[in-house]
Amino acid sequence: MTITAPPDLSPGSDRPSDPFDPVPVAVHLRPPRRAGAEERFAATDPRKGWDLAAHPRVARVLRNRKLQFFLILPNQLVFWLVIMLGLLGTVVPGLNFGTAITWYIWFCLVFVMMVVVGRAWCAMCPFGGFAEWIQRRTFWQRTQKTLGLGRKFPEPLARYGLLLSVGSFLLLTWIEEFFNIAGPGNPMDTSFMVLGIVTSALIFFLAFERRSFCRYVCPLSALIGSVGAVGTAAGFRTRDRQVCLDCKTKDCMRGGEEGFGCPWYTWPGSADSNLTCGLCTECYKACPSDNIGFYLQPPMTSVVAPSRRRADVAWSVALLWGLVFFQQFNATNVYASLDGWLTKYTGIAYPNPVDYLGIIVAMAAVFAGIAWVASRALVRDDLPTPMAAAKRSFIDKTSRFRAFFVPVAYGVIPVVGADYFARQLPKFFKHAARIVPSVGAWFGLGSTHSSLYNTRILSNPSIVTVQVAVIALGTLAAAVATWRIASRDLVPVSDHPVATRVTSLAIVAAVGLTAGILYVLMHAAS
Amino acid sequence: MSVIDLPIDRASDAPPEHPSIQVLGDRCAGCQECSIRCPTGALTLDPTTWTVVGDDAACVGCRQCERTCPFSAVVIEGPVLAGARVPVVHEHVGALAGSRVETRQGIASWADALAEAARCLDCPDPTCVRGCPAHNDIPGFVRAVAEGDLDTAHAVLRRTTFLPDVCARVCDQAVQCEGACTWSLAGSAPVAIGALERFVADNAPVPPLLPAGASAGAGDYAAEAHDAAGSNGADRGADDRLEVAVVGSGPAGIGAASALVAAGAKVTVFERDSEPGGLLRWGIPDFTLPDAVARRPWETLVEAGVDLRLAHEVSADDLDLLTFDFDAVVVAAGASVPLRLPVPGGDLEGVWDATRFLTGAHAALAQGTSLEVLSRPATTGRAARVLVLGAGNTAMDVARSARRLGAEAICVDWMDRAYAPVRPDELDEAADEGVDVRFATTVVRLEGEDGRVTAARMVPTRQRKAGTTPEVLDGPETVETVDLVVMAMGYRVPPELLELDGGTLVPRRVDGFPDRRWLGSGIFANPAPPFARHQPVGALARGREHARREAALPRRERTWVAGDALVGPATVVEAMAQGKRAAESILDHQPRRPGRARPVAGRVLVAVESRTGTTAARAEALSGALAGAGADVRVLPLASVSTTELAWADALVVATWVEGLVVAKVGPARATRAWLDRLPPLAGMPVALLCTYAVSPGRTLPLMRVSVERHGGRVVAAEALGRRSPSAAADGNATKAMAGALLEAVAGRAE
Repeated sequence: MTITAPPDLSPGSDRPSDPFDPVPVAVHLRPPRRAGAEERFAATDPRKGWDLAAHPRVARVLRNRKLQFFLILPNQLVFWLVIMLGLLGTVVPGLNFGTAITWYIWFCLVFVMMVVVGRAWCAMCPFGGFAEWIQRRTFWQRTQKTLGLGRKFPEPLARYGLLLSVGSFLLLTWIEEFFNIAGPGNPMDTSFMVLGIVTSALIFFLAFERRSFCRYVCPLSALIGSVGAVGTAAGFRTRDRQVCLDCKTKDCMRGGEEGFGCPWYTWPGSADSNLTCGLCTECYKACPSDNIGFYLQPPMTSVVAPSRRRADVAWSVALLWGLVFFQQFNATNVYASLDGWLTKYTGIAYPNPVDYLGIIVAMAAVFAGIAWVASRALVRDDLPTPMAAAKRSFIDKTSRFRAFFVPVAYGVIPVVGADYFARQLPKFFKHAARIVPSVGAWFGLGSTHSSLYNTRILSNPSIVTVQVAVIALGTLAAAVATWRIASRDLVPVSDHPVATRVTSLAIVAAVGLTAGILYVLMHAAS
Repeated sequence: MSVIDLPIDRASDAPPEHPSIQVLGDRCAGCQECSIRCPTGALTLDPTTWTVVGDDAACVGCRQCERTCPFSAVVIEGPVLAGARVPVVHEHVGALAGSRVETRQGIASWADALAEAARCLDCPDPTCVRGCPAHNDIPGFVRAVAEGDLDTAHAVLRRTTFLPDVCARVCDQAVQCEGACTWSLAGSAPVAIGALERFVADNAPVPPLLPAGASAGAGDYAAEAHDAAGSNGADRGADDRLEVAVVGSGPAGIGAASALVAAGAKVTVFERDSEPGGLLRWGIPDFTLPDAVARRPWETLVEAGVDLRLAHEVSADDLDLLTFDFDAVVVAAGASVPLRLPVPGGDLEGVWDATRFLTGAHAALAQGTSLEVLSRPATTGRAARVLVLGAGNTAMDVARSARRLGAEAICVDWMDRAYAPVRPDELDEAADEGVDVRFATTVVRLEGEDGRVTAARMVPTRQRKAGTTPEVLDGPETVETVDLVVMAMGYRVPPELLELDGGTLVPRRVDGFPDRRWLGSGIFANPAPPFARHQPVGALARGREHARREAALPRRERTWVAGDALVGPATVVEAMAQGKRAAESILDHQPRRPGRARPVAGRVLVAVESRTGTTAARAEALSGALAGAGADVRVLPLASVSTTELAWADALVVATWVEGLVVAKVGPARATRAWLDRLPPLAGMPVALLCTYAVSPGRTLPLMRVSVERHGGRVVAAEALGRRSPSAAADGNATKAMAGALLEAVAGRAE
């Protein structure tokens, strides 16, 4: 005898035989469409053995409603400390714990997590976490009534998926560069920046339902989401898709007694990448059939395998590539003279918004332009248009250009991710040790003369070597990914398989080379 | 198709001719909750993107998809193509004086019935069925009407209701089935379900309760009824037949008796009045429910062999005696105590309660006479004046009856019109008939001459919010000449009956997480549609369902309570549905009075709260011992044990792990404690308690015992088992002893 779910609560059974509940007699739901599910999800469904939740101890931790609270809590404490110290602590940036932890440690750590795990940061983020506590009126309980207006995020913006998030990342980066916050400059600026993010998160959480902020607005969402695709966390996925298709209640989406409905608008039954899984464990808790697992996947699965390639991800990658290019390019002499010239005419100091946005958009446009030319030359012009395509939104529309651009953009994710990662390395290698004197400064012990303050983990030339190595690794990974993407998505739409493979690999190589060379040039310029 | 003239929020300046479906691509996860419920099949899954696509041409704008999408990823714009609702007359026709003619007319013709039936979308997940307190298969019977098959339609209705003719006339469909109709939830006019039900009930012959040849006529039912029924094992030889007493012959009693007798049980109904029907007979005037219709249920029941004992009062003390003579008792005695306004002059002659007036008026109108008290002023040349205290539905019935008896009628209620619990349609009908209804007014004094009431002094009141007590203002006092004052402020359950419920009524408003299937149906998504007078149809339906499920539980050993006696003054259909549910529970359990053997195995529900699996393993061992001894055992996680599961069980095992600081403050796990606190009445159910501990069980078992006994459970065994038990044999013995004690108690209960 085993403990079973009560028959009237198991999804799929509409209890027509239960004489005590006459409702099911009248219910005659249409059968869901199942055809094609096996093939569609074959490449992205994680392997059975990679389900961490299969271990009873892990399952128990995941089922605990306090799990996310305890993930958020330490970050929450650190961030309020950052705000307080930024406002009240020493003005020497390197000695202020607020700036030191934010820019020397945290930012690098987020990038490591993103590349290795995916949205791990989102599960512990103090910004969204704080706002969500207020929105749900609780630290961890499953509450029924939320605080705030609970509006739907406006569709005119939501239809562009991650692009708004890219926009807010560009804005935040510009502010950060303009005020030299991460320089790091005045510690107070760091406090204001963090406060600004917390406040805007709170406003969005109170105005809109669930984690609309995280999904559409958060400056880091697009970056973590797209670069996180190389990560090894597949997230929470269905264990048996047929059970999910049979389920008539979708507690994972609507919310059940034990868990909230997915705050990220993801259904474990159809997730084919880790893009929108915030690892918050709510679906796992809510599922009445214990049919959700917490899966790992081989690195880059979410880059190579998804059947649904989203245009917003592709454009995000292009723009994010533009941004990281700008951040490298701005260290060169060519940029200095361009920015100086613009500043003279507009009166706005570095970075001038015109060249800032201009360079980013130009790089994205170059990337897309090459893809466009390649698509004209390589993609067949007689691609069948699916019947439903007419009503598809921006994310899913089809065209000859998109048939080439979108998969190739996915392919360069590893090298763009490597580029962002490499850019954080100097701060870490040069200044990470300052965290010790900055803590000592609370007790009047740390000073700029402290040996740890001036300790460097690596010298400048070594840092460049590491950076170039990271880029090389990223390029290699991107090349492998692109090769596989080409086989899956590009060759089938082209009459020139060899040229298609060569062109897509050339694009990856161009991005990798540009990034690598720029690190050498940056070093030379400094 | 024309669009119903109801406020539709989404209407833009120039609404498109046809609704359009927009699926939000970034949000749609392809879960198909919408497409499996779309009545017209306008939504399909695009397997390439694994999102849903809509076909505008097939969409009728019912917005079921919007209500059921978990991520609100579907947006429908444009009109609701609900079509025009067939008009039905709801107005008194002809002269009012002395009239017993029904005010509300039914559907006039087959053509109208077919047209109305054609409006039904036959939704795959029909919310109307959840909105109906009896859960009639509404799309099923409407489909049969559309096919012109009234007999099938009637049969479909009779599966869940014994009173389609009555309910069609007295139900407030706007806050039940019709309010929950897809068209209503979409903001438009629903299918006229009530009118169609009436069309079926009035035009199809009433099928007999028992198969042909089984009915035997009053008084001589037993042998034949017994021979004919029995498909469900209710009778196994004459001696073994289930014998049930039903106290009260109102809607709840009818619901219980009909279900029991149809299943072959021997049913005896005790009614204190000289006529059966309870509220149906004396409470609802002829202009709403004609005599012939009100009499019909009892004619059918008596024909089917129910032993009806009229003028037979059963007091609360007698109930215990009944359990010695019958296998089960259903208390369906209603809420019969009229509320009285404590006002100076309230004890004058000529101050009546509604029951007295309605009974008198009913008889007078039937005989074509009037009430003596109303004919007195005629000598002075003016019409008699009746002041009705209250403006609820009973007050409307009183006032409208008074109008038919030739009197003038004034209703006063201290609530604000906006918050008064009255059906607006009844209010309109009363106003049409010349009833003067005054809200925000209260009577401060009744004055009389020679001990007879002659005048009422009234002042204005103010009520600022729904559910608050209105304040009496100092404002101008008005005086009305009155010949009769009728207090119609409602009823309450007699206190001695309330004792059965543990002193409180079962609430019809519930909090907490709703049933998942109800949530999925979308009934809660548009909480207050205009057709339902902006009432929260989903929440109302959920509350009624809660009460119906509670009716399945006995309140005392072998004693069930249903209807107004269980929930307080409510509706005919709810009472009937609860009576039916109580009867189903009795048929399911097959209880037997002492000295009679129970024909079914004892059923044990094992509710387990386990954290690491230790408790679950011990509970399974106990379940094995129980099953080995012949019990029917069900093992469930504690969290999924609700009223429904408890209603199934004859005995209960609660197994839990313990929580605390190693040895201090050790008690049952928090989830177990919360669950025990929420337990419904256990009515003497035998309970075994089991806990597993690492170091010390602390006060776990005593705490659980107190909780269980507070809810009326009888703890027959309690055992604490150490996680690292000294010997498996000792554990096995303890388990076996527990199983034995529990089954002995179950058996003892049956004898």
